[in-house]
Amino acid sequence: MSVERRETPWTEAKPQTRFKAGEGLEAALLVVPGVALMLLFIVWPTLNAFWLSFHRENLLGTSREWVGLTNYAEMLKDPAFWRSVGATFVFAAVVAPVQLVLGLVAALMVARPFPGVGLFRTLFFLTTAVPTAVAAVAWGWFLHPVGGTLNRALEAIGLSRQPWLTSPELALPALAVLTAWAGVGFTAILLTAGLQQIPEELYEAARIDGAGSWTQFWRITLPLLSPTLFLVALLILLSSLTAFGQIHLLTRGGPMESTTVWIYRVYQDAFFNFRFYYASAQAVALFLVLLLLAALQFRFFGRKVHYG
Amino acid sequence: MVSLPHWLARPLFYLGLGVYAFLLVLPLLNLFAASFKSDGELFAPGLWPTHPTLEPYQEALQKYPLARYLLNSLVVAVGTTLGVLLVSATLGYALARIPFAGQSALFGFVVAMLLIPGEVTFLPLYLLVQQLGWLNSYTALIVPFIASPLGIFLLRQFIKSLPQDLFDAARIDGAGHLRMLWHIALPLAAPALGALAALTFLGAWNMYLWPLVTINRSEMMTAQIAVAQVQNVEVTSWNVVAATAILVLLPTLIAFLLAQRFFIRGIALGGLKG
Repeated sequence: MSVERRETPWTEAKPQTRFKAGEGLEAALLVVPGVALMLLFIVWPTLNAFWLSFHRENLLGTSREWVGLTNYAEMLKDPAFWRSVGATFVFAAVVAPVQLVLGLVAALMVARPFPGVGLFRTLFFLTTAVPTAVAAVAWGWFLHPVGGTLNRALEAIGLSRQPWLTSPELALPALAVLTAWAGVGFTAILLTAGLQQIPEELYEAARIDGAGSWTQFWRITLPLLSPTLFLVALLILLSSLTAFGQIHLLTRGGPMESTTVWIYRVYQDAFFNFRFYYASAQAVALFLVLLLLAALQFRFFGRKVHYG
Repeated sequence: MVSLPHWLARPLFYLGLGVYAFLLVLPLLNLFAASFKSDGELFAPGLWPTHPTLEPYQEALQKYPLARYLLNSLVVAVGTTLGVLLVSATLGYALARIPFAGQSALFGFVVAMLLIPGEVTFLPLYLLVQQLGWLNSYTALIVPFIASPLGIFLLRQFIKSLPQDLFDAARIDGAGHLRMLWHIALPLAAPALGALAALTFLGAWNMYLWPLVTINRSEMMTAQIAVAQVQNVEVTSWNVVAATAILVLLPTLIAFLLAQRFFIRGIALGGLKG
């Protein structure tokens, strides 16, 4: 007969049982490699990131010297740094709402089953399978000044062609839209999962009370989906703050540095301007911003672990 | 909102779906169409080529060792996936099923690691990999990423939720932890492993910044970086660039179409963490 068993919550320590002979070795075999890898490739680089940011190359470039907070002081006075921070937040501020709305529309259409739903789910979730470099090339061609479909379409309805990726005003928003597009599948998957958790009975009750689909959306769907929406918005923000591949591939930070976002400046300073330690300080600053957002997300997912 | 007559609502719904799906997929269709256009037809109006040709593919494959780049990416993605599954299953099992001193502290540590934004520690990681002599190798692209806090966390949660009775019975039969992990936990955790595998494969296949800085020998380049390289050289031959991109897209696209539910589950788990 099985004994009545209660699930212990994850924060509570399990009752300790005695080890059998050889079990300590088995346990060590299972635990030690993973922990060692995490210490070496996550903990050590994270600590070292801070340590490096307090140094600077010496004049010969042969070794490094301790400079304390000099890199940070310089960074705070560096207009190029602040331009990259500004570009990053403009970029994120376009990506997040566009991706959220595009994904929500897709999720609303395919959350409930109907004949043919499988095909449309596949199509709406498809961008998940598209690598960043491929998405970038697809949009590079889509926005092409001469052969691009978008410019042809604009011309067909009487508007003029736009130099999407070569104009300092348009390049950053254009990259943001392509990033949002590439994330639609991801967003739609998470929001579909969120929508499917809303009990169908609520909609039935609302229909019986005579509520139309518009009322149902504002009174049931949106309020009940809002925790998921908030979480997904945070995830989008987190990933858009470190978007790199599409920028490297399509604009190389230009034109006129208009798409040199935070992480792109870190990459450039470290590998092209030979300022590895100054780049480290900028990376640490970005790290702290991301950590703050991750901590916010953590509050939500912590709750999900408890009650979800 | 005025409600529509019933006979009209359904066709309109499908029309809306179709238009939305078409617009979302349009940039990809456009790329696909370009990859079958000859040089002469590339800039002619019209989405579809009137005389589809395989020339762009032939040119891309002749001028660039794309097979090698795709193989590199495949080795990296499969290697990373297997490594992540191994580490996540072993450590996840230990955290869920083996009582040892400091277990809850270690689990707390794994959860804290989840918070660390890995994209931003690439500079110190680069120095480390350089000191280890791993630049320009598969090792550099695989080993730093096989201890995945997310994977360990997911597997720990999943194995923890399995019925204790199964493990008790095996224990009475004299099974040790390795056997219980292999014969009980892993078969039952197959859905979680599948989802984690899909998520990891996708992430490794898509890596961009890390291979860009750690690989500079041409024969070790991954497919993503190869796309950037081809795009950089073939400034006007967008059909060749498109053909390259389509070839790089195919593996993940096919994997996605075949194992869609694992990808969806993986993303739902990874995003909402449980």
